[in-house]
Amino acid sequence: MIPFILHLLGILSLLFPVHAVDVIGRLQWNDVCPGLLELGPSKVVLDNGRRSGNVVQDGSFTIYDVPTGTYILSVLTHDFVFDQLRIDVLQDAIVEVRPYLPGTPLNPPVPNRLQYPLALTPRTKHKYFVPPDSFNMLGMLKSPMVLMMVFTGAMVLAMPYLMKNMDPEALEEFKEQQAKVAKMQSAMTNGDFKSGFSALLPAGDEAPKETQSSSTSTGTSKGSQGSKTRGKKRK
Amino acid sequence: MRLVSLLIVASWLGTTLGIQESDAGIIDWHKLLVGVPLVDSTSAAPIFHRVGGKNTKSVILTATKQNVLAALNPVDGSVAWRHVFEPEDTVVTFEKQDTTVASLSGPGGATLRSFDILSGLLLLEKRLHPPETSLPLEPGHTGSSIVFTADSDIIALTNGHMVQFITKSGNIRWTWTLEDQSSLVIYTHVIATSTAIYAVGLAKSYSSYILHVAALSPESGQLLSTAHVASSVTNPSTDLALLTSNTVSRLAWLEQGALKSVALSASLKEKPTTIKGATYRRLLDVGLSKHGYMVAIMSDGAGRVFRLEEDGSALNNIWEFEGSAYNSRHSESLYAGGFDKIGYPYIGRLYWSHAFKFASAELLAPHLASGKGLVTGFSFPFDTYNHGVITHITMDAANPSPFTVLGRFFLTTTTGTVQLWQQDKLQWTREESLASVRVAEFVELPEHIVTSSHDRDEQFSERVRRHISDAQNFPRYLLNFVRRFATGSYASASSSVAAKDGSLSRDAFGFRQIILVATDFGKLFALDSSNGNVLWSRILGLGWAAEVGGKHLPVKIFVTRTVSDGESPQAVLVTQRRANNGLLDTTLFHFDALTGLDARSNAEKSKVLEGTDIPEAMVDAFMLHKDDTRVIIVLDELLQAHLYPDTDESKKFLLENGSSLHFPLQMNVPDGRQVVGHHLAEVPSLSGYLLARPTWTLSLAHGETIQSLVPAARGPVASIGKVLGNRTTLYKYLNPRTFVVLTDAVASELPGCGLYVVDAAKGTIIYQVSLPANVGKCDIRATLTENWLIYHYYDEDFSGVGQAKGYRMVTVELYEGSRADDKTQSSELCAYSKDNSAIRVFEQSYVFPHGISAIGTTTTKFGISSKDAIVATTNNKVQSFSRRLLNPRRPSQKPSSEEAEEQLVQYDPVLPDDPRRVLSHTYEVAKIRRIITSPALLESTCLVFVYGLDMFLSRVAPSKTFDVLDENFNKAQLVFTVLGLAAAIGITKPIVRNKKLREKWYQ
Repeated sequence: MIPFILHLLGILSLLFPVHAVDVIGRLQWNDVCPGLLELGPSKVVLDNGRRSGNVVQDGSFTIYDVPTGTYILSVLTHDFVFDQLRIDVLQDAIVEVRPYLPGTPLNPPVPNRLQYPLALTPRTKHKYFVPPDSFNMLGMLKSPMVLMMVFTGAMVLAMPYLMKNMDPEALEEFKEQQAKVAKMQSAMTNGDFKSGFSALLPAGDEAPKETQSSSTSTGTSKGSQGSKTRGKKRK
Repeated sequence: MRLVSLLIVASWLGTTLGIQESDAGIIDWHKLLVGVPLVDSTSAAPIFHRVGGKNTKSVILTATKQNVLAALNPVDGSVAWRHVFEPEDTVVTFEKQDTTVASLSGPGGATLRSFDILSGLLLLEKRLHPPETSLPLEPGHTGSSIVFTADSDIIALTNGHMVQFITKSGNIRWTWTLEDQSSLVIYTHVIATSTAIYAVGLAKSYSSYILHVAALSPESGQLLSTAHVASSVTNPSTDLALLTSNTVSRLAWLEQGALKSVALSASLKEKPTTIKGATYRRLLDVGLSKHGYMVAIMSDGAGRVFRLEEDGSALNNIWEFEGSAYNSRHSESLYAGGFDKIGYPYIGRLYWSHAFKFASAELLAPHLASGKGLVTGFSFPFDTYNHGVITHITMDAANPSPFTVLGRFFLTTTTGTVQLWQQDKLQWTREESLASVRVAEFVELPEHIVTSSHDRDEQFSERVRRHISDAQNFPRYLLNFVRRFATGSYASASSSVAAKDGSLSRDAFGFRQIILVATDFGKLFALDSSNGNVLWSRILGLGWAAEVGGKHLPVKIFVTRTVSDGESPQAVLVTQRRANNGLLDTTLFHFDALTGLDARSNAEKSKVLEGTDIPEAMVDAFMLHKDDTRVIIVLDELLQAHLYPDTDESKKFLLENGSSLHFPLQMNVPDGRQVVGHHLAEVPSLSGYLLARPTWTLSLAHGETIQSLVPAARGPVASIGKVLGNRTTLYKYLNPRTFVVLTDAVASELPGCGLYVVDAAKGTIIYQVSLPANVGKCDIRATLTENWLIYHYYDEDFSGVGQAKGYRMVTVELYEGSRADDKTQSSELCAYSKDNSAIRVFEQSYVFPHGISAIGTTTTKFGISSKDAIVATTNNKVQSFSRRLLNPRRPSQKPSSEEAEEQLVQYDPVLPDDPRRVLSHTYEVAKIRRIITSPALLESTCLVFVYGLDMFLSRVAPSKTFDVLDENFNKAQLVFTVLGLAAAIGITKPIVRNKKLREKWYQ
């Protein structure tokens, strides 16, 4: 009897050489996508769309007659993002589901398994449009170009007064600095970046050296005191 | 330094191109189409449906040749919804009741779907039998039928012998299958009554069919009884009708011209009766069979209306349409049934009057005039020379007062036009043949011509007078100028360019062009690229084949005269004409692109566009273009070169230039299709034609056959090389004779697909790659422009560790020589030089996020702007991918300073799917077959036109709109700044002057 049944099973397996399974699942409506009306006509496809099932009103779908094998399941829809899944249809009509990230290897499979029947959640809605870049006074003022312009403008206006109030020693130092900057600028315009920077760098290096040699607070206070007294003398 | 360049790259990447919401619908347009309605079978043809009681909403439901089930809104002709079926899942029938429409699709009607009739939401999708087990039934809709029960459950007959009861919620309550399948009974119809479900089938006998009926129990699906009806039906599709009235049903058929009928009951014991007195030619199901009405056409062509009496006892002739017999003065009549708001049935008849050149409609209201029937009629001016011949009608009616009946007719024509007429008023027209465009081409528009009235040889005094009279407009002009300067806005790259006055001239930036499209339905359209409206359309005349009937299949379209030639642009459409008597020949239509008038002569507008015939089937056609001369060469099957225009000059032109002409042709050989290179012989053959001679054959592996040839996209080349970060140069491989060959070897021992880049002169393979086939199909999309090849395929193989299946996009760049700085001047190199094959290939493969149905690249006027790839994805989008991301030289590690200087970004195997690069944004652009691009006058901008089921056009600026002021350029700010500075100068000038003066005094 048993061999006969086995025989029959063998014949049956010949009749149905490939085990085919209907892969079923459901899209879980959420705040991102509350229903089929928002989702629009959508399909759930295996691999490149050879087998597919449409999403019906309650979010469920069925992909009929899927033979054994490994597939990547994705949702073909216009406006929403869904995760992709790895589907393994096994010999005894068991469906295994695993998460899958595009661009990652399919082989070997990841260990963690997801529930079956499938449950897919809309992740985000595509944003197709860029916001219009409107005219923004504050934003314009924040831009470094404008800040620099405003600063330069202020300096141009304030410079004569500052110069007037400066003592000759500081003035000389300032002029020297200015000459360096001018040199650097001309080097820059000639495309000689290195010398341009090097022209500026020693100046930057010198300043900390000075502060290091004498204590900062006293040095500066002395200088300012001196200038004040000298200014008084001249008067 | 490095930091600076990195910053530049970062800022470059940060500014993503995108569409602003306010630009949607202004810089782009989308034509939502459904396809030409199926009219051959009544079960899928257009029909009105009304939902709800008195405050009703109606839709026109139809299945179409593009495999779409659609609902049109009869008020404005818009698409209420549509469902696009897969190509292998053809829709065969649909049925509606209340708020639901159900369809069967696929072989034998394997899949059942039901939709909400107003919103189109898919309610149910159910496989009724595996498609592999389907019987080969011809035509495809026989053997599948749907009927609703009173409770809106569905009874579906599929595969000719299986009846299933499916509840509203989608559960199958019972299935009945014909046990004895060897009896050769194929069931074709099913009807449901409260007592029984009848499946009516046909059993083949010697020269005709015998009718066969099975009665099933509605509760359990058990076979109650089965019977053969003594009958002999020769043509089941026209000789059979199944009528129901309330609870009684009757089967009617024609047997040698006699109308016979039999009542259906659960026991199936009734005897057939014959209605005597007339011979009939065919029975028409006008969509009222469930109300007991049908139309029978008598042998003289007259139409009679039959009604099944409510007790089911008899089938009575209640009306004969007067003057409906065959007649030379009018065409054969079309009949349709429809309902009014209350649900009373009406029968409409429509014919075309040859004598008066208008369409006439008659409406029969059987319930009016106290049951005697009332007929009203009207005529309307249908434009047959623009829309062809009406092939199908459907209707609905309104009965506002007892003796007034108003009708709405929905027409489908041979050219694929659908129209809705309410009485004699045209409500709307849809050109659904635009869903089956074969070829399309952009044509530039001429500039707006300002008319000047003066003639050249005017007298001095006249001239002075004219100047004075013109000068009186000057103050107004000046005022306008100042106003425009201070406040006006300039044309921006994102403004609408649709003409307000309807004139046909281009806009400032050349965004407005004409798109010429030729469809499968023998109609040629000119579309306005600014809004997609039809500027003009012409029916392609069939010429000699008009008597036997035939069809034009557009093959190519050539612009033979452009705006830059000084006159109005012209184009030539080459079509293959397939006459119904089996003859195949070629026709060339030469027309003015602005008006659609025949350009061969300046005769007044003929009714249809007639062409020039070439009495041979064509193999290929192309245009030879040098300086101002353009000659079209059509190669026939004997490889003779026919010329258009066929003049001595063009012959001379061809003899002078033909020697440099090399072209590949696809040839059928016993092994499959091969590509064979040809060139034109130098001396004409005896018949006077130049013959094309084979020069080379692409040697392919055994079993490999040509799938398609993809010509390279031609356009101006702005730079011949690329300077690298290390100050060496890669020179682009710009051989102008290259083309792509896609091959298919799925049937051979080593299944796979191939892609070759081949030189047309010698057949040299420049680049070659074998790609995996997927499930016995090669689905590779490729495009070649300049030295850049991109192709897309699906890779199924994941057997190796670390591999994955998925879509791949491969980008390939070809450069001259074997090292950097090698230069062979490939663009001018002789085809036979050995340097031609000295190339260097860079390629990189990416994981692509979508399947695609078409691919193209942008083209610009001078080719300076970067070229982006444009793809139409399978999730109904048109998306652009930046050339920077598709650069095959992206470094695999962090870019070095040299690479950063070239703005190369690090290689990432996954191409980002940026929704802001979706050109079609919220539009669902379905089933795109082709993408064509055209440069605008602005170098930065390119027009992208895609067609398939839908049509879509947008503008893209791959390198941003660098050559035009930004949309939000603040002009007021500029004006105020200038004014402010002027004011500041005005104020400070005297101060400075005083100060200087004082300095001079006191120094």
